[in-house]
Amino acid sequence: MYWEKDIETLSFEKLKEYQLIKLKETIFQSKKSEYYGKKLKDIDSSSINSISDISNLPFTTKQDMRDNFPYGFLTVPLDDVVRLHSSSGTTGNPTVVYHSKQDLDEWTNLVARCMYMVGVRKSDVFQNIMGYGLFTGGIGFHYGAEKLGVLTIPIGPGNSKRQIWFLKEFQVTTIHILPSYALRLYTFFEELGVDPKKDLKLKTAFIGSEPHSEEIRKKIELLYGLKAYNSYGLSEMNGPGVAFECQYQDGLHVWEDNFYIEIIDPDTGKVLPDGEEGELVITTLKRDAMPLIRYRTKDLTKIIPEKCKCGRTHRRIDRIKGRSDDMLIINGVNIFPVQIEKTIMKVPEVGDNYIIELKKENFMDKVFVKIEINENTFHGTLNEIEKLQKKITEELKSELGINPVVKFVESGSLPQSEGKAVRVYDLRNK
Amino acid sequence: MAHQLSIFVENSPGKLERITKILADEKLNVRGICLANAGEFGIVKIIVDDPDKAYDKLKEHHFTVSKRNIIAVRIDDKSGSLCNLLTILSSNKINIEDCYGVSVAYNNSAAIIIEVEKYPDVESVLKKNNIETLTDKEVYSI
Ligand SMILES: [Zn+2]
Repeated sequence: MYWEKDIETLSFEKLKEYQLIKLKETIFQSKKSEYYGKKLKDIDSSSINSISDISNLPFTTKQDMRDNFPYGFLTVPLDDVVRLHSSSGTTGNPTVVYHSKQDLDEWTNLVARCMYMVGVRKSDVFQNIMGYGLFTGGIGFHYGAEKLGVLTIPIGPGNSKRQIWFLKEFQVTTIHILPSYALRLYTFFEELGVDPKKDLKLKTAFIGSEPHSEEIRKKIELLYGLKAYNSYGLSEMNGPGVAFECQYQDGLHVWEDNFYIEIIDPDTGKVLPDGEEGELVITTLKRDAMPLIRYRTKDLTKIIPEKCKCGRTHRRIDRIKGRSDDMLIINGVNIFPVQIEKTIMKVPEVGDNYIIELKKENFMDKVFVKIEINENTFHGTLNEIEKLQKKITEELKSELGINPVVKFVESGSLPQSEGKAVRVYDLRNK
Repeated sequence: MAHQLSIFVENSPGKLERITKILADEKLNVRGICLANAGEFGIVKIIVDDPDKAYDKLKEHHFTVSKRNIIAVRIDDKSGSLCNLLTILSSNKINIEDCYGVSVAYNNSAAIIIEVEKYPDVESVLKKNNIETLTDKEVYSI
């Protein structure tokens, strides 16, 4: 069940030694770039004696990448670059990541390692419902799956009826999909007379690219009758394949032979001990064309210090709680949208689609939660809906300390997107 | 057992019109309609001559709809008869969830549609008290 047993189960001490060597190489390599050449000119990699000395190095931010567009971070001649990925960048410079042939091989291997870990094999059929193109989600999994020898269907997102036709016709066993789209896709099955549990052979789903709650995962597993694994990645660190759940679905193993992880206090920049929640900071350890040192992901999580039952020694991070950018401050209380989701999804009568609206009323923040009514549990009385509204309001009040207005709306009336779901509409400054 | 359809609607102009249009396009005949309102949304209750077909059609148009059991009771068109019916139900501890009159004159009697919690107890209670209920066919052709 290991793709690379030696690496995945390397002892903690050996892993640290390995990381130290790789960090020194990374510093050396990074200094070939214009940006780090200046930034790290006083840092001598021989002065790094233990991996924790990394905390003396400066952070790198997304803004640094933008400011040094296009080639400020590049460490190899452009001739050796074989691909770039870029953020959409509608305002200002996009963040661009360059890959050499070696970088792509490493990335592909990591994705293969992730997929193999949860049982995907040559005999599987894989429908890749994630977006292709500049976005790294689709293409990253595509090459990983091909490396495993899996029959790969590069369908991309959208056209739900066609998706279902492919799933059924080719007896697909494995999918990669946005969690919000998985829930939406499910609503098309009934119309086509296909029962996902009886008529399909699905056993594994990879879900990622959107922060989502455990409740959403369970819902997807229940609806499709499969196991859904949480995948974490970001384009600055290749894309998918940075951290991934093993068969125990209890935190995501970060591939520490490729990435060095730290958790910091986002306000002070101080490194926090394992187990404490903060911002994830990642250093690439094998990047060739574009190493990144202490990159601030803005993703909030914690490192799980305990050993995992699967035998892998690479430490796990907790499900991403949200991005520091996504945090909502509601009348002074810090809340992540995913916390609201977690609370409302605990109520079984709730449909899959919801949005959160924030407005100002009498100088106070007011939260409106609009939820689509669930057709399958609607019994036809006013009473039940009023009770449900009350229940959800109470839950949100007691768990998050906010006093929202919960509204049920007709099913299908909220905006749907085939890309990442937009759940929060902050109308406070409008 | 006769059925009515309960449809979840947000209160916005043209909603009832859309529902009745869908039914009209299918040549379905609406026999009774009633709107229970709770501010920004409500429940439309409809009695129609072919509830199964209407249910499917409304679902096709993505309405959230549910079929509910109803009993149509014939009561004399005179004062005190509704009170008599309600007394019978309450003395048998049967809660009424909803109740509305659909036809002022039906062979010189009125028809009252009731939704109650306890089926089929209610039917035997009504029978015992000589209260006449309408057959499904009668309900759909009120
Ligand atoms: Zn594990």
